[in-house]
Amino acid sequence: MEDYKFLFKVVLVGNAGVGKTCLVRRFTQGLFPPGQGATIGVDFMIKTVEVDGEKVKLQIWDTAGQERFRSITQSYYRSAHALILVYDISCQPTFDCLPDWLREIEEYANNKVLRILVGNKTDREDREIPRHIGDDFAQRNGMYFLETSAKEAENVERLFMEIAVELMEQAKCKELPKYDGSLGPINDKNKAVAVAKVHVLN
Amino acid sequence: MLPINKITHRLCFMMSKTLYITCCCGCCSALRPRYKRLVDNIFPALPQDGLVKSNMEKLTFYSLSSPEKLDRIGDYLFQKASRDIYRRRHGFVIIAMEAMDQLLLACHSQTLNLFVESFLKMVQKLLESTDPQLQILATQSFVRFANIEEDTPSYHRRYDFFVSKFSAMCHSNHTDKPTRDSIRLAGIRGLQGVIRKTVSDDLVENIWEAQHMDKIVPSLLYNMQGAEKYETVLCLEPETDTREGIEEPPKLAEACLRELVGRASYGHIRSVLRPVLTHFDRHELWLPCDFAVHIFKIIMFSIQAQYSYSVVEALMQHLDASGGGSGTRVRAARATVLSNIVAIAAGDSVGPSVLEIINNLLTNLRASVARDSELSFQKESDERLYQEALINALGEFADHLPDFQKIDIMMFIVSKIPSGRGKPTKADCMLQSILLKSLLKVGTTYKTTELSKAFPAAFLEALLRVSSTSEARTRALLQRILHTLLDRRANAPLLIVPTVNYEQLGLTVEKCSRPDLIFISKHGYAIFSSLYEGLQLESNTAENISAIYTTLSLLAIELASEETVCDMLQLILAIQQSAISNPVLSAAQQCQLHAVAVALAALVPHVLVLPPLGDYVKQIIEARREEAEHMLPPLSDEYDVPPNKLPNKLPYLMIDQMALGECLKASGIEPSRLQTASPYTGGATVGLAHRHSWVEAGATQGRDSLADISAGPVTELDSANSSPGVQRHPAQSESVSLEALRRAASGPSEAERRDAERRKVSLNNTFRTAPFDHLLHITQPKYEIQDKLEEIFNSISEEPLLPVGAGSPAGKTQNQVQPYTKYLTELFLY
Repeated sequence: MEDYKFLFKVVLVGNAGVGKTCLVRRFTQGLFPPGQGATIGVDFMIKTVEVDGEKVKLQIWDTAGQERFRSITQSYYRSAHALILVYDISCQPTFDCLPDWLREIEEYANNKVLRILVGNKTDREDREIPRHIGDDFAQRNGMYFLETSAKEAENVERLFMEIAVELMEQAKCKELPKYDGSLGPINDKNKAVAVAKVHVLN
Repeated sequence: MLPINKITHRLCFMMSKTLYITCCCGCCSALRPRYKRLVDNIFPALPQDGLVKSNMEKLTFYSLSSPEKLDRIGDYLFQKASRDIYRRRHGFVIIAMEAMDQLLLACHSQTLNLFVESFLKMVQKLLESTDPQLQILATQSFVRFANIEEDTPSYHRRYDFFVSKFSAMCHSNHTDKPTRDSIRLAGIRGLQGVIRKTVSDDLVENIWEAQHMDKIVPSLLYNMQGAEKYETVLCLEPETDTREGIEEPPKLAEACLRELVGRASYGHIRSVLRPVLTHFDRHELWLPCDFAVHIFKIIMFSIQAQYSYSVVEALMQHLDASGGGSGTRVRAARATVLSNIVAIAAGDSVGPSVLEIINNLLTNLRASVARDSELSFQKESDERLYQEALINALGEFADHLPDFQKIDIMMFIVSKIPSGRGKPTKADCMLQSILLKSLLKVGTTYKTTELSKAFPAAFLEALLRVSSTSEARTRALLQRILHTLLDRRANAPLLIVPTVNYEQLGLTVEKCSRPDLIFISKHGYAIFSSLYEGLQLESNTAENISAIYTTLSLLAIELASEETVCDMLQLILAIQQSAISNPVLSAAQQCQLHAVAVALAALVPHVLVLPPLGDYVKQIIEARREEAEHMLPPLSDEYDVPPNKLPNKLPYLMIDQMALGECLKASGIEPSRLQTASPYTGGATVGLAHRHSWVEAGATQGRDSLADISAGPVTELDSANSSPGVQRHPAQSESVSLEALRRAASGPSEAERRDAERRKVSLNNTFRTAPFDHLLHITQPKYEIQDKLEEIFNSISEEPLLPVGAGSPAGKTQNQVQPYTKYLTELFLY
């Protein structure tokens, strides 16, 4: 029986080719698609994880990194609970663009959104951005930081799990007051009823 | 949706068949809820067998008879389906969805709300799966739901997820093309469903919010830009109700966009247009502009007519916006799009919005001209493209407005033209010519009926003011504007170059109407003298002179009347006179003026049917043809004339005022007005202050008072200090007598002419090149002659033989000459 107590929306952003789609695929489907083409517009995946014995459903919106899709991807920031900003540790330009991305996030996303900086492709030999540089940047901007490898499945699970834990804590503290309106077609009251019913049935 | 009669039929059938089951099954309900058993029963043992029809009917009947159970049925179905999805038993999922669809359609709308929650949960569940088949299935169900009209509001329902997901589906990048297309189609249908569901209901989600429009609009456009070619039609065929018919994403996206735009109210137009413009910038779709034109035409065709103006407005505001690598070419493309759609808006624009559009276009033009003059080294042609596109937009727009608004617009444009005063900068000149081009564009769309309506006084004055600008090409442009406005009978193309053979042209001539006569009697002087001035400019090219000829000939045709003939002939004489006496003109220009004068003189009798006059002019033409071809049309830029054939050496080839008077008399027209003093001042430079009041002067004084001779000399005196060449030749004759003057008026002798010519040239050179001191010096020793002349003139003025303005041209000339000779003789004599 599948149901969930919490639903969180996670949006991945970052330059084209940093591995956003691969991260999502690795996490949701457990595979690394070699030769993954560029994402067009937005892609959508779902994954339910369990935190402290409670089911948490993660709606993952994987956006296109290409400049031309920027206007449609921006429209997805708004309802996000967590934003994962990805760069490629073997590609300096993708790191240099981070301030631009932050500006965009400031502009379009909820200001309480959970922000995580991710340096992807740690499997690569030709690292250009040392770990501490990324860490510094994240600290300066009040973000969580993690280095991952979608190819080696390193830290990918952890990334999403930590997001789930963090968001759940936030939600428990505040009983999700501010995200009320944006939780998809099911409102809180109904969900509570649904959850209650599941308990009865079980 | 099932037809109602089918449902009722089915209901009756079930009633009769299943009545007994309902009766005896009450006892089993203790074991397991009855609704669960009914739901379980609709699933077959094997998924490929499909929904168990008879059991489905039972379930439907049950839910209809006890609607309070609907929410539980829905919920239970959802649970079952979730489990099946999890176990990847897609066959059962499809069956569950089908069952829910049937229940949804069978339910009465009052009870629907209970069921819809779980129905949508189900749809969402399916959409969340990665299987394209389930996603498409879910979309179909959603669309079915969207087409149901609910009568109870659903405050709590949210479509945020659906918009997000459907938009994502519109961008599907599935490797298999047919699958990709069907996912995209499903996405578009889904969006269409959301729009239908939300747009009419104020209580549910506001679909027009930016967060939704920013997803919906780009998704639709993204699918449309993939089409191989763009065919824009006014509206799609009605059968494309889009649920099944369309199989190509671009077509369906177009239908959806039309629906969206068509439903937008005034406040919502902007929320649709903003993402459109952003999308074009982001995807760099302005160039080439055919797709942009396609989209904007679709928007214009489907928008509610009264709002179409706001599209134009939005696009105009976006003209200069950055983004999309906004070069001049992009701007030009945007302007082209604008010119393509502006006509569609014109029909519905009224009042201030019209002027606002025009003003906006002009502002953009001015900005462009400013840019252009700043960096005139490169990109110039691009900027030109942009300007041209803007002017086209202006013309397109004006073309679709009623005539009275066109005049308003033209006046508005004229008011924006920088005045020709002072030293115009390069930018001013460019702006002037750009605005005149705009004016011409608007003017060509205007159909003149009455001249007084086409030329309100303020408009006419502004036009005439521009006609004396220093740029020769600008002046030619202005004449073209006059042509379009004057030419009511399509004669202008025939009269582009001067000619004397009017018989072959096939001109259309009609009698001049009364209002036109009133118009010309009010403003004729202003128009004629402005055109006359136009002919006197040193910078004139053959093009300028031809253009003025065309204007004059059009005036002669449009105002063909015996009342105006004298004015016309007077002007012709003045032109001829100026060709002889205006020293700034080159030999070529003189020849051109003679040609124009004779061409016009030949036109007048042709238009008015005055055989004696016609014969006379014909004689002159024949004579010139033999002796002086260069004094006949066609005009050319270079004349190779032997010195003895110069126009001023051939007095007997001139049009003679007396002879004209005789010819008019022979046709029964009173020639007295012809013999009054010529109101046209001779100089090329007349004080600007004087020029300003022409229109009023003409209107208030009336024509006759202009013949008042005292007015002429005074103004000439004013202008004389800037123009040394304003003089009359009789001053040069040695012995001044009535006889001599008369001879002089009909043309000086050949020797005198040669002499005068030489003097004129040297005078010109002297005054152009010599320093002022030198000029003073060389004029010193001429006192004796001046004294002598003064004496002579004194004696003349005492002569009682020639009352002022009584008819003798000599008398008149003398009167005009006097003040000059008195004070400035040395200038003329040297």
